[in-house]
Order: sequence, then C-alpha cells, then structure tokens
Amino acid sequence: MRFALGILVFLGALVQIPEALPRRGRYVPPREAERREFRFTRAVYGGAYDGYFRRSWATDFPKADRQFMIGVRRLLSHLDASEHENPVRLDDPELHLYPFLYAVEVGHMSLSEPEVEGLRRYLLAGGFLVVDDFWGSYEWANFESEIRRVLPGCRIEDLPPEHPLFSAFYDVKEFLQVPNVGNAMMGRTSERDGYTAFYRGISDDQGRLMVVINANTDLGDAWEWAERPEYPLKYSTFAFQMGVNFIVYGMSH
Amino acid sequence: MSSVFDRAFEFLFKYSPYLYEKGRFVMGSPWPALAVLGVGVAAVLWSYGRARDMERRDRAALALLRSATLGVLVFCLCQPALVLSTAVPQQSFVGVLLDDSRSMRIADDGTPRSDFVAGAFSPDAALARELADRFKLRFFRFAESAGRLSRVSDLAFDGGQTSLARALDTARQELSAVPLSGLVLVTDGADNGQGGEMTDLLLSLKARSVPVFTVGLGRERFARDVELTRVEVPSSVLKGTSVTVEVRLAQRGLGGSSVRLQVEDAGRVVQTQEVILPAEGESAVARVHLTASEPGPRTFRFKVAAHPSEPITENNQQDVLVHVTDDRQKILYVEGEPRFELKFIRRAVSEDRNVQVVCLQRTSQNKFLRLDVDDGEELAGGFPRTREELFRYRGVILGSVEASFFTPDQLRMLAEFVSQRGGGLLMLGGRHSFAEGGYGQTPLADVLPVVLEEGRAEPGFLAPLKVEPTAFGMTHGVTQLAATEDESAARWKTLPPVSTMNPVRRTRPGAVTLLVGRGEGLQAPQVILAYQRYGAGKALAFTAQDSWLWQMHADVPLEDMTHENLWRQLLRWLISGVSGPVALSVSPERTAPGTAVTLVATVGDERHVKVNDAQVVAHVTEPSGTPRALPLEWAVGKDGEYRATFTAREPGPHEVRVEARRAGQALGSATAHVQAADSDAEFFGAEMRRPLLERIAEETGGRFYTPETVASLPSDVGYSGGGATVQEQKPLWDMPALFLAVVALLSAEWAIRKRRGLA
Repeated sequence: MRFALGILVFLGALVQIPEALPRRGRYVPPREAERREFRFTRAVYGGAYDGYFRRSWATDFPKADRQFMIGVRRLLSHLDASEHENPVRLDDPELHLYPFLYAVEVGHMSLSEPEVEGLRRYLLAGGFLVVDDFWGSYEWANFESEIRRVLPGCRIEDLPPEHPLFSAFYDVKEFLQVPNVGNAMMGRTSERDGYTAFYRGISDDQGRLMVVINANTDLGDAWEWAERPEYPLKYSTFAFQMGVNFIVYGMSH
Repeated sequence: MSSVFDRAFEFLFKYSPYLYEKGRFVMGSPWPALAVLGVGVAAVLWSYGRARDMERRDRAALALLRSATLGVLVFCLCQPALVLSTAVPQQSFVGVLLDDSRSMRIADDGTPRSDFVAGAFSPDAALARELADRFKLRFFRFAESAGRLSRVSDLAFDGGQTSLARALDTARQELSAVPLSGLVLVTDGADNGQGGEMTDLLLSLKARSVPVFTVGLGRERFARDVELTRVEVPSSVLKGTSVTVEVRLAQRGLGGSSVRLQVEDAGRVVQTQEVILPAEGESAVARVHLTASEPGPRTFRFKVAAHPSEPITENNQQDVLVHVTDDRQKILYVEGEPRFELKFIRRAVSEDRNVQVVCLQRTSQNKFLRLDVDDGEELAGGFPRTREELFRYRGVILGSVEASFFTPDQLRMLAEFVSQRGGGLLMLGGRHSFAEGGYGQTPLADVLPVVLEEGRAEPGFLAPLKVEPTAFGMTHGVTQLAATEDESAARWKTLPPVSTMNPVRRTRPGAVTLLVGRGEGLQAPQVILAYQRYGAGKALAFTAQDSWLWQMHADVPLEDMTHENLWRQLLRWLISGVSGPVALSVSPERTAPGTAVTLVATVGDERHVKVNDAQVVAHVTEPSGTPRALPLEWAVGKDGEYRATFTAREPGPHEVRVEARRAGQALGSATAHVQAADSDAEFFGAEMRRPLLERIAEETGGRFYTPETVASLPSDVGYSGGGATVQEQKPLWDMPALFLAVVALLSAEWAIRKRRGLA
C-alpha cells in the first residue's frame, strides 16, 4: 500500500515539474504583467534535489500555490490577489516587486552568493519571507546555516502563541504539526527526527518580523492536498488559517 | 525740493504757503481804487485810439500792458491783507513729543538721529528758545508708551517699540485742559507698536483743532541695506518635524548680489543657504527646511551677513520662537483591503514617536484588522459613528475604500472633520479611491483638492508613472528630498516609477499641486500629490497606489530613506496646525519686558462645538519659575473665544498653559510661549516714513518739516489757530511779486516801443 502510494506520488510529482524559468528576470512594467496587489510568490533558489528528482524549491509546485490561492481569494474576499503561481529567483531584481515570499524545503537550500545577497536586500528592504516544510535537526541546521549567511548575526526566536501573527485574521489557538499527504494517510505527523512543530521568527533591528519559520511541519502539502477526502480536514483547515494569517500579517506589518 | 519752492514762494509773496493756507485774504474798500482804475483804463484806450500811425496790433498790446500795470497798482491801492489767528505770546501751550526709541540711534548720515533732538531742543538751542518765547512748552518722551519729560537730556533712546498713536493720544489728554496751539512730533516715523488706531486718533485731533507739526528725522532711503523683512514659521510644531520656513528679504542698493542666509538654533548653526537679492522694491523668498529636534520653546535666529556699508545691521537678523511639542498625535488610517501601501506607510513612520497611525483595515466582508489602537475599545465598532469619536484624531487617511463603505452621516462627518474640526484628510490612490471609489457625488468631492471626473476609469486602467515635483513642490518641505533643490530634483529622477488606477488630471481652484506623474500614453500629467485648505483644515490627495516601491524596489539602495522621509513629512504636515478642542494664541509672541501680551483661547467641546460657558484659566510660568494664574473672560462677540492680558515682566521665555473646564469636566488644555526680550523691531522699516508723518500733519492742519526746514516751525505754530489767539492783519500790498509784476509790464511796454521806434 505504502509502495503503491509512493509510486503515485512520484508520478504525480513528475507531471508537476515546472517549466524552465527565465535565467534572470528583468523589471517588467506593471501594465504588461498581471498586476495584482498580491501575488503568491515562491522563492526559486539553488540547492539539492528532493527525493523525487525535483529542485527543493519546487516541492508541491504549482498545485499547492494554485490551490492555496483559490482558498485565499475566497477567504480574503477583499484582497486583490492573483490566482496564478509566481516563482521568482532570489537573485532576480523582480523579486522586490513582491513583498511576500514563500520558500519550501529550505532544509536542502544551498544558496549562491547572488542569491544570498538578493534575499538579504529583499528582507532588509521590507520583504516578508515564510519558510515551510523542512524537518529534523539536520535540515534545521542547514537552514540555519543558510539564513545566517543571509542575515549574519540574526536572532532566531520562538514566536509565542499570543504573537499577533497568529491572530491577524484567524485566532489560532492550537498549533498542529501538519504532515505530508503520505504520512497523513498513515496516521503519522512527523518526519525524520522532527517530532515537534515549532514556529520561529527573525526580526530586524527595529523588532519588525521579517522571516517566519514553520519547522517540522508541512503547510504546503496541506494546501496541495486539501481537496482530497483522505487528507484530514483539520490539517488543511489549520494550514489555510495559518497561511491566511501570514498574508494578512505580512501585508500590514 | 519743496523747501526751495517754499522759500521762493515766501520771497515773492512775503509769507510762507502755510500762512496763506491758514489765513483769510481780505481787501480794504475797493471802490475808490476801482474808480481810479476805470478812469485810467479809459484814458489809455482814448490815448491809443488816437494814435493812427501805429499798427492796430501794437496799439492793442501797448494798451493791454499799460492797463495791466494800472491794474497792479490799483490792486495795491485796495490794501490787500492776510488775516491770521495769531497765538498770544505765553498764553498758549505747545506739546513737544520726542521719540525715545532705539531707532533714533541710527546714524543715517554719520550722526545719530538723536543728535538733532539733543541739539534742537536743549534749553539753549535756537529752535527751543524761539518756541519757548512764544509758548509754554510741555515735553513728552515716547516709545512703546509715552510720558512727561522734565529734561531733554533724560532721553535714553532705548525704547524697543514706537507707538505714535499712543504718544499723540497721551499728550492730547494731558494737555486737554489748557489752550493748546499744537503738538510737535519729532520722530523718524517708525510706528511699530500696538497703540491703537491712527485714523480714529487723527479724526479726534482734527475735531479738537489740535494741529500736529511733524519733524521727520533720518533718510527716506538708505543707500545700502539688507533687511530680513519677514520670517514665517508655524508657532507650534511636533518634535522632529521638518519645518519649511519662508524668509523674505528686501534690499537697497544691493540688487542682484548674493548673501548667505544662516540659521542658528541656540547658537548652533543648523542651516546655511545662498540667496540672490531681488531688484529694489521686490522681496526675495528663501525657503529653509529645519528640523525641530528638541521639545519646548526653541528660538531660531535667521541672519544674513552685514554689508560693510550698511548703516544698520540689526535688521539683518530675526529671532523666531517655536513651541516644539512632544505629544503623540493620532491619525486614523482606513483601508478597504489588504494592501502593501499600508504596511510600508506604517513601516515608514514606525520610528516616529510623535505620530500614531491607528489602522482600521478591512480584510474580508465585515472583518477588520485594527492596528496600533490604544485599547480594545478603540474602533471596536468599526469606523467612528459619532463626531466625538472621529474628532479625537488629528488626521484621517482614506486608502482604497469605496464611498459606500461609509454611511451618509459618516461622509458628512468626514467633511466636517476637515471644515469644522480643522483636521487633515488624505486620500490615497487605489482601485476604490477617488472617482473609482464613487466619491464624486459625496460631500468629500468638494473637500478633496482634485476634480473627480464623472466617469470612472476603464476597468483595468493602470498607468505607470515617473513622478516629479512641480516648481512649488521643488521647494516644499514635504517633497524636497534633499538639502538643496538641485539635489532633490536629482533624487526624484532616480526614483522608480509607480502606478495609479485613478486618472486625476485637474485640481480645484485654490489647490496646489506638489507632484505630478508622466508616463507613456498619458495625454496630460497625472496629479500625484495636491492639497488645498478647506474650511478650518486641509485636504490632500495622493493618487499613486504603490509608493512602497520607493522603499522596496531593487533600484533603491537599502540605506535610502526617501520613502520613510516622504511619508514621515507628509503625515506630520497632514496634522500640523491641527489643534485639540482648546487652542491658544499669544500676541505678540516676542515682546519687550514690561509690555502687555494678549492671550486668546478658543474653547470647544469634544465635538469641537464652541463653548461659551467654560471656566478658562491661564497658568503663566515666568522664566524664574514663578507661577501666575490668570482667568480668561469670554469675548462676547465671538463664540468660544476667551481673552486676557498679562505683562511679561521678566526677560526670557514665559510658558502659558490654558486649561478649560465646564461643569467640573475638563474640556482640554493648550500651551504657548512668549519670549520677552529687547526687541530689534525698531531697526526694521527704519527709513524715515515721510508719507505717514505728512499724513498726520495734513489731516490735523499741521505741517511736516525736516531738520532743514524746521526753522519756520515756531512761527508756523503761532499761526495754527489753536490756543489763545488774536486776529492779526498782515498787509500784502508790498509783496515783491507785485513790484516785480509792475517792472515786468513796464519793461515789456518799453521793449515794444523800442522795437517800433517809438521810444
């Protein structure tokens, strides 16, 4: 059963490998691009492939993005949001046109120097980054190492449950560990040695939150598989609530 | 010139024009003389009528000349005379008013103006003796106040202000019980005090037949001078606010030259700027940007370096007192949708301790996010539904929120927020703003400084724009991005383009545009930032929807503070001058110690409706720390206005805090400052003001003199008609003009005869 599911997921992932992105973006005048107030932007970065021969950044792409935006457009009815995915390279100046950024599988992230510089400038200029879907101590160590290249000397702190982030739109009281679709069907929530989900943040010198870290949890998979009856509703509900909170908070703080 | 004319007139007609003006012309019995004239003219005509050998034209000319000669002689026989009311010696009084202000120390032509006073009115001076021979003299000194003077040598010439009206009124009252021939006013005419209305006083003097003889001292025009004529600065600003100060300069003889304007804050130079002086008669306006960094009363000194040949240098500088407050003032920002513009505006002003942007952001249908509220109650019910609630804010920002979000009453409240409460309203560009938000038919359409077109923009309209300041925006404190105009203009050129969804091309009459946007395909420039005064407040329109790109864009260096500074300045400007329910003004804000200061408090309730039954008390703290309490009385003529006067006794800054209560409930308080210091007001507009002195003399029946013409003053006063007088008849038959006329007529007759061979 587990093997068959793995085959299915593998085939599905192959289908979802995105088309090649432009090597390097350039500034596109708003009239020519799809100009919406909000575009759910996914960070494209260098690094290892995941277990399905995809680049790490492209995990769950683009279905998670599209499905998430379907929910966001319904839940945040007054947000002028694009329904399309929007992957942008970290070293692309166009990244600065999208002050909200989502990155996954950062446990395998291996940034080039231009990417380090691009992300650093993006965050210090006012960009807001949400990282998601990385598990266990090894991947945490990798992410921490990479983010400290981006923000040397930064402090990574636990976000307390009463942080305004968690009540920006939905008042989230219970913090779940969101499993990937495979584990969810098998009744497991953790991967590797990431047994407990935690939510951490990095703030700038003025105390403004600029990076939200969802570790040992996989909100992206919950968005991606939300329509599947076998994926537990409580996880996808929680994932959407958290995602909407991130957007509202990131667009106001 | 006029003195030459007067002398010539007096030579020809025996007496000065003033005597002819004051006197009445009479003639003795004319009939015998007319009979003689008739006989003489008849004889002339008969005689020339018989001379047939002469040409007709010559006969007519000679007859005319001979008749005219006879006419002049007959006029003399008629005993013409001037009847004058002449003062009886030592029976009338004359008040001599001597200017004791600092401007009398100015040495226009090498010697101080005060030297004339000391020289001409000392007891042994010719002018004083001549006056004293005819009248009983009473001396007065005057500056900001007036009083009797026992000795001319007691004059110190140290008055900080001059009030001519107060001086004349004081002398008139003191001499009202004696026969008064007139008042002699010796001054440079620098009338800068608050001594009342001159026009009323002149009418009063004229009605009482008290002529004023004015003696003007000093030059009417300096050869070279630079003067800071005016410094315009708000009396109260928030700490950290960049203030735009307008400095006006005038000059004499130095047009086109460059001077350095320097600004000092407590002795520390904080700004310098080169200013090109204008042509004579025009003002140069320099706009200086200052940041009030320390709370409390701050004295800024504006000065330009003195030119070596300037007679006075005191008018090259001015001190202004600014009350820097350290309050935290609230702005309500209503946003109809999640937008990055809100995030970045909040981010820009997050470090500003004096501005609190309270946000009400609609995130979904009937779901709102409240940010930076004071407590759980604030805005719990959404946008304020009462004026009390709304008028607590100093400014309101409307983001992309459609007009139908508000009830009709809330829209009216917003309009009244500007017009009556005096608040600042800012509308931001967005898909639900301006005409696209349906504001065209609402009360806010008149409030906004831009014209809302009838039709909305086409769906999907989005114009990329490169923003640039207008000529006014180049120098305005909000849109000047760098220390100099050139640097600021260069900075604007480097900013990335932004966009708008609201085509706005026109502003309302009276509105001022600070920023415009240009882009491909746009027929006319887009108005990006404009403002107008509306009622007691002001309204701003900022039509771009993504100014956050000036912070976030990859082309903008991280250390660049353009976005932060622009929004910080813009929001501070939005609420600058917006007061609470209680406002206080002091007049003058700078005065000489010992002079009166008027306090005017405007008191309203929490709806800013004027209150006439409040108890208003001013607490004045003197520089030494001594407190004084002073009740303010309602000025019956104006709703909500309370007044009181106090004397600034000590030199230094006086803090004035008014507190208003009604029925035991506090309505509010306000603070202002008064600087008591020796004033340099006497050195501004210090040229002799001849038109004013001539007007005083003419309207009261007196005469204007300069030191060159003053010799005739004693005799002129004697014929003024005031005081104890007798009628005096002055014969005119022997005036040289008549003799010269006879000589001229006879000479002309002889010349004709000579030419015709008849002589």
